[in-house]
Amino acid sequence: MKRLRTIDLTFGAVFVCLMAIGANITVWFPFLALPIGGATVPLSLQTFFATIAGLMLGKRLGAISMITYILVGMAGVPVFAQMKAGPMQLISPTGGFIISFIVVAFFTGLIAERSSKPSVPKYGLAAAIGLAFNYGIGVTYMYAAMNTWLELTISYSVAWSSMIPFLVKDIGLAFLAALFMVSLVKRVPSRWLSTVKAS
Amino acid sequence: MNNALIIGQYVPGESLVHRLDPRTKITVIFFFVFIVFLANSVVSYSVLVIFALLSMFITRIPIRFILKGLTPVWFLIVFTFILHLIVTNKGTVLMDLFGFSIYSGALIQGFAISIRFFLLILVTSLLTLTTTPIEITDAIEDMLHPLKKLRFPVHELALMMSISLRFIPTLMQETDKISKAQASRGVDFRTGPLKERIRAVVPLLVPLFVSAFKRAEELAMAMEARGYQGGEGRTKLRELKLRKRDVMILLLFIAVVAVLLVTRNY
Repeated sequence: MKRLRTIDLTFGAVFVCLMAIGANITVWFPFLALPIGGATVPLSLQTFFATIAGLMLGKRLGAISMITYILVGMAGVPVFAQMKAGPMQLISPTGGFIISFIVVAFFTGLIAERSSKPSVPKYGLAAAIGLAFNYGIGVTYMYAAMNTWLELTISYSVAWSSMIPFLVKDIGLAFLAALFMVSLVKRVPSRWLSTVKAS
Repeated sequence: MNNALIIGQYVPGESLVHRLDPRTKITVIFFFVFIVFLANSVVSYSVLVIFALLSMFITRIPIRFILKGLTPVWFLIVFTFILHLIVTNKGTVLMDLFGFSIYSGALIQGFAISIRFFLLILVTSLLTLTTTPIEITDAIEDMLHPLKKLRFPVHELALMMSISLRFIPTLMQETDKISKAQASRGVDFRTGPLKERIRAVVPLLVPLFVSAFKRAEELAMAMEARGYQGGEGRTKLRELKLRKRDVMILLLFIAVVAVLLVTRNY
């Protein structure tokens, strides 16, 4: 396995900071609070940023960066959604979504590395696969947490249907991530993009 | 807010818990999370509650800091308790409430789960309340050391943690600046359909990403100019050292686990 260069380290670290900002984006941009089912849900761009991390950094560094993000949050720095932190965030029913970011970044990175031409369909596909892992792991974890340590017997389908409103929002965001990535690729020097070969 | 970003939830202090090696604290708390699930009786739960409350008092952290850590999950505890009252039907019917029968078994189970929840939150938050993020980073680097054999970049991971600790406040200020800059140019996010407003995020995020990567690149150059070349042969400013008190606490914790195992089912 290739050793990480210094620049890989700093890019990975900067993505941890970006994740912290994305998770709490409504602090700066309050207009991003969404009305879902009557209540206003502050939008979190965590999945969006995790997807970009994979697309920009590639599968290995993207996943390592997300592991770092989780560890920083566990160390008590409020980087998770709604400025939360601490190991409890991972144990609680929604902890699976946080853990899934590692897998999200890995698989979006895997697809981004496959072909070097940046395009909306390619990034869209990567984002969609990332989102599938995000919810697959997140909801399964929630279902398992509910049924084991909270000892609430709920069915798998109930767990899924409770997340559908959020899924709709995140499908939109996944598409936005693809659009964003294409516009980013045009604006930054190619040496910053380890998944895009200089053309 | 900035303060919270750098020191996390840490509350400075000189207590025994504060002075313990972070590795000891992480080890105890890691295993505590699992043994909580072994408790299944009044006595065994009491053992854990006494252990948790004692640890809490030893830290001498003002109660209000601990309560602050509990607030976000408070709702979840109450919610779980109520859900248990509604869903579980074990034992005898205690009373009828708005057409729902409250069973004695539900009350007991709901209470037990709430205690379990409370214990998990209290003990895990004691770690972040008494340990700085930097100490935890050092401890993680040391504890993950065996993974180096599997070619996992442990040193690099710890360094990335330290770098991000330093840059999180900086980039958050940057975000603030960008949002103000775009607003002063007349970008309006407050009106218009939701779809438009969400698309308006792109012109905000592009400068944020670009400035973040610029910083990353500059930092990498600065590090290399100063001769950074990875973890090999690097010495540490802060050395972790296991002391007598750490061994004592670990032995005490093993004793707690033993008592818990004995008092199960009582």
